[in-house]
Amino acid sequence: MPELRVVDFGRVSALRSQTLWHALAYGVSAGGPPTLSFMRPSRPYVGLGYHRRLEEADIAACREAGLPVFRRMVGGGVVYLDEHQQFFQICLPAASVSRNRQRALRELLSPAVAAFRAAGVPAELDDHLEIVVGEAKICGHGAAQIDDAVVVVGNLIERFDHAAAARVLALPDEVRSEVVRLMERFVAATPVDSATFRTAAIAAYGEALGLQPVSGWLSASERERLLELDGRFRSPAWLRGPGRPAPQCGEVKVRAGVHVVWTEQEGRRALATVVGGHIERMQVSDPGLDGALTAALAKVRLPG
Amino acid sequence: MAEITEVAGFGVALDRAYDPAGHFWVSMVAPGRARIGMDALGVETSGTIAQLAFLAVGEHLERGEAFGSLEAAKFVGPLTSPLSGRVTATNDAVVVDPALVERDPYSAGWLVEMDIADAGELGGLVSGAQPIRVWFEAEVEDYRLKGVLAE
Repeated sequence: MPELRVVDFGRVSALRSQTLWHALAYGVSAGGPPTLSFMRPSRPYVGLGYHRRLEEADIAACREAGLPVFRRMVGGGVVYLDEHQQFFQICLPAASVSRNRQRALRELLSPAVAAFRAAGVPAELDDHLEIVVGEAKICGHGAAQIDDAVVVVGNLIERFDHAAAARVLALPDEVRSEVVRLMERFVAATPVDSATFRTAAIAAYGEALGLQPVSGWLSASERERLLELDGRFRSPAWLRGPGRPAPQCGEVKVRAGVHVVWTEQEGRRALATVVGGHIERMQVSDPGLDGALTAALAKVRLPG
Repeated sequence: MAEITEVAGFGVALDRAYDPAGHFWVSMVAPGRARIGMDALGVETSGTIAQLAFLAVGEHLERGEAFGSLEAAKFVGPLTSPLSGRVTATNDAVVVDPALVERDPYSAGWLVEMDIADAGELGGLVSGAQPIRVWFEAEVEDYRLKGVLAE
């Protein structure tokens, strides 16, 4: 049976919690074996999805809190990451992964769901491809094709600081409050034993992929690549990312199907909370309006 | 607007060439200048497109290298160029509104234009109404057999 290389890096620096698995992806692309890896950052930091504008992160707040910011090559938004999260990554040759991205994600996240369940978490993969318990997302995931490899990443969140996660987003205070409220409802930690989760993930990915798990480590070429990635991820140009136009209105995705959108014009702000395609809550604020009217409008609920 | 013909359940514009490796179409808009976009099968397998980014105008690339990237369902992937050349224009409209690629992949949802470096590479593309039909039907059948497309 072909091998599934399993690499557990343990606790690593914030930078290496990103660059290590990117190095593995380049290694798999160059002919290395399919690889399942694990690591945990030693300190909090902020991760930025590949296409996201740097301006979406509150860089001043990150600097004040001593949080480094790194742009990753997988998708998703601005995320707060810390030592209470066990990261995992599955990386395969692109040719062995479905060309249908949704199908690929479903196939490569399903073993993680099995691992959560083996660790005692009643997890499910919902129609939005989020790993959930009830309506709450319990795993932040992303994916990318890096050269000729596909990598899917996720995390076991043992503890989650919703306020800290919202604080690193560049948002007006009013929007941030709403994001925190939604995060508390739609993002949940699952404080289970991470060793149990890792063991179950190794078994689940091995079985799903028809591969024999074997402990391994970085190859020489992957170590060389790691050094290059360390430099790349620290460079201002990489952090700046691909140029993006500023959006016409602000938007924060809390989980798939749950968004806060807002727009501002001449001091007026309209903010809507969208859940499952319906406006669940809407707030309008205008310094020119009577305070009582603004408060009344803020309580308006539209039918879901 | 391009004239769209249904082939194996998908809309296909038969007035241009297709890269059999990547489901991108190529249409010559001036001598030596090609416009590139994604075909309906590429759109179908990408899912709902959330983000697009392109190389800067003026960048050179070889056939098979990425002229940009696409993100759908938090999955980032390369947009692989069917030709070698120099990027001369990118479609800002699809960067602002990526769903335009899904709504109108053969016209308003084009991706980039480039001055091609090697006209000989055009010979590797599928062109002509009947060869396109045959190739596209075979691709759809292959995708269905592999479970890439929903039944």
